[in-house]
Amino acid sequence: MKFKRMLVASASALVSLGVLAGCSSSKSAQGPKNTVRIMRKDVIATMDSSLNTDIIGTQALSDTMDGLYRYQGKTVKPAIATKVVKPTNNGLTYTFPLRKNAKWSNGDPVTANDFVYAWQRTVNPKTKSQYAYIYEGIANAKEITDNKKPVDSLGVKALDKHTLQVTLDKPIPYFNQLMTSSTFFPQDQKVVEKWGKKYGTNSKTLVFNGPYKLQKWNGPDNTWNEVKNKDYWNAKDVKVKKLQYQVVKDASTALNLYQSNKLDDVILTGDTAKQMKGSKGFNVKKMNSTFYLEMNQEKDPIFKNQKIRQALAKSIDRTQLANKILGDGSSASLSTTPSNMSYDPNNKSKDFVSDTKQSAKTAEYNTKEAQKLWKTGLTETGQTGKKFNLTLLSDDTDAAKKQSEFLQSQLEKLPGIKVTLNNVPFKSRLSRSISGDFDLVVTAWNADFPDPSNFLTLFTNGASNNNGHWNNSDYDNLVNKSLSTDANDPTIRWKDMTQAQDILNKQQGVIPLYQVGEAHLTNNKVKNLDYGPSGTYNMVSLRIHK
Amino acid sequence: MTKYILKRIGYMILTLFIVASVTFFMMKLMPGTPFSNQDKLSAAQLKIMNEQYGLNKPIWQQYLIYLGNLLHGDFGTSFQFNNQPVLSLIMTRLKPSMLIGAQAMIIGSLLGILLGAVAAINKNNWIDSLATFVSIVGISVPSFVLGVLLQFFIAFKWHILPIALWNGWQSSILPSLALAVSPLAQTARFMRTEMVDVLNSDYIELSKAKGNTRWQTVVKHTLRNSLIPVITILGPLTANILTGSLVVENIFSIPGIGEQFVKSIMTNDYPTIMGLTIFYSLMFMVMLLITDILYSIIDPRIRLTNNKEGN
Repeated sequence: MKFKRMLVASASALVSLGVLAGCSSSKSAQGPKNTVRIMRKDVIATMDSSLNTDIIGTQALSDTMDGLYRYQGKTVKPAIATKVVKPTNNGLTYTFPLRKNAKWSNGDPVTANDFVYAWQRTVNPKTKSQYAYIYEGIANAKEITDNKKPVDSLGVKALDKHTLQVTLDKPIPYFNQLMTSSTFFPQDQKVVEKWGKKYGTNSKTLVFNGPYKLQKWNGPDNTWNEVKNKDYWNAKDVKVKKLQYQVVKDASTALNLYQSNKLDDVILTGDTAKQMKGSKGFNVKKMNSTFYLEMNQEKDPIFKNQKIRQALAKSIDRTQLANKILGDGSSASLSTTPSNMSYDPNNKSKDFVSDTKQSAKTAEYNTKEAQKLWKTGLTETGQTGKKFNLTLLSDDTDAAKKQSEFLQSQLEKLPGIKVTLNNVPFKSRLSRSISGDFDLVVTAWNADFPDPSNFLTLFTNGASNNNGHWNNSDYDNLVNKSLSTDANDPTIRWKDMTQAQDILNKQQGVIPLYQVGEAHLTNNKVKNLDYGPSGTYNMVSLRIHK
Repeated sequence: MTKYILKRIGYMILTLFIVASVTFFMMKLMPGTPFSNQDKLSAAQLKIMNEQYGLNKPIWQQYLIYLGNLLHGDFGTSFQFNNQPVLSLIMTRLKPSMLIGAQAMIIGSLLGILLGAVAAINKNNWIDSLATFVSIVGISVPSFVLGVLLQFFIAFKWHILPIALWNGWQSSILPSLALAVSPLAQTARFMRTEMVDVLNSDYIELSKAKGNTRWQTVVKHTLRNSLIPVITILGPLTANILTGSLVVENIFSIPGIGEQFVKSIMTNDYPTIMGLTIFYSLMFMVMLLITDILYSIIDPRIRLTNNKEGN
């Protein structure tokens, strides 16, 4: 056994040395002209925009389809709609004029009816769309998915071929951002009905109205190609002829492929990301996803004490966690709402996290202060001198295990705390979080839409994801106001949300750990790889430097 | 022989039934549901989903329906790949796994037999030591480590073969070589041990006395008689390798079946879990049957039927 281990260790060391040696001898040969080759971590599960739930499918849909709007940088720009619409009727009605020259790849025109059909199909409970909840707020959407109202009662109608009107039950302040989402893309009724259940399972069953057309994709394929769609209304702005996607699961294989000029953009993880940090082409995409620690107040009433929560937060060196333990492009975070996601309506250069950074200092790493707060907290709760044996629940991936061990070492700096690790498969972690079978749990949230409210609502009283059961009535009030009475006033709404985040930060209702980052190596021939706030690239902007 | 094969097929069907039943009930004990956004689904949506997938029925009814569908060759549709039939999913992913698996077995077993035979013939000299060393290394070094080394030196450094990706037959060579190392090492070990025994047998002495050359003795008598234990291990080894190696597939970015199985478990994709378990079991049993048939071909003293039937 020892011999075997030695062999494995030697081989791994040899490979690592080789990989590093390879860095200096990377080939500068040109790849195929006018093609960008991109790595993906997984296959496309479906190309049916009503059924898609993951980022891989979302990117493929954004490449090949067009909705009302499209992100260009951080800004929402018109796509099939001819302008970014301002709501009327106290924020309840949106009337979208649509382009007359937009058409599907089978020659059919893209009309307002295609939106009406797709949206009604998504909220129809028979479609089984797991993202239908995103439609909540559009008139009757909730009742339709609850099977209490007919599908055609959805608040969307075609005023004429090229005018779409949407009526809301209540103002949705982030409605325009939402309209960039692939869940709201139109569908060609004729094609969907022709293929039935097979729609979206392979490229033959699809028609496209976006910048690219998917070619020869057959369900669980590891490779798919997208070629420029000449029928796209904005085809003149699409300069790259072909996108070639390739699923690569192993980070060192990805690195080898990149260095051999077989791929132009690869995602690195773990040690490979650490090795390549700082090298040419290395860049990090900040994802709209954060990891945080929830404390179960129902099981351990000690967590109801603010100083105890603050002590735990201050005992964790997040910079070390992100850079040394994870090293995959993630960055230390003192906020559960991600940075680079949403911006002050009156100052687009100011992001939500920078606006709340003062209160976030509560969680800053400081062992001395942590111990002081811990001591005071114990006195306040009458638990002085007591020993605490806490279970830390987390996933069972290699990264999660390393992370748990690190958190254990950090939290045990507080006197009297003993942390037992419990690393379980994802599904078990989720079910145990919901049933409250934990003391501390590492949780992650990935934005459904790029608005702070998507994170802030997680921690309101009674929210289904508030597994730690922290609650604060002022906080609830501010979050609710931002989504109701103040929904139509972007400035006041922004203030509501920053104030709510300040309360969460000061009270450490949950303990933020880090914002997920995706480490990339990108060939310098690739220009304008435009990464938007919703976590996808706008490939219309893509250029190749010749 | 025909009767024996029919009997074995009968046992295989029974075994498959037991495997399918046990897997079905164990699968239901897994935590969570196949719906990734369950808390976001409305009660009506959940109801429709449960109805459409038959998850609203008592487990025993679900079990009977599943068996009924299975008899019609219907493995259901995948949860993770919306509306993709499980059978077509398996078939799409099977081809690359089968190709690299079959190549690995052919390369591994033939080289292993050769290496074991050479070692036995040259017992206790440096050739034997070298062959033993190769076997030990082969057993000790996991296929994924070898895979990474092959990828790095042969593909990345020397540009002889593709680094990864699935673009034609050339892409299958390195993963096949990585996978071949285990059957090579194991076959070589078994072959050497058995051949050393056979070489000490009386009939080998007789063959020599009859004036056969060393080469004639080895080819006519020794090799064939030494193959029985080798064939014993080849059955299960082939089944394991043909069904794909998750890690090697990942290293070489091969769209194989191994990864699909793990993913289906992680996502509670019940129909895919069932389909792949049944497929793996079938593969394993077919290989055992082939092994038994090969026994009787190689050594006519081994009969697959009892004496009465054999006479």
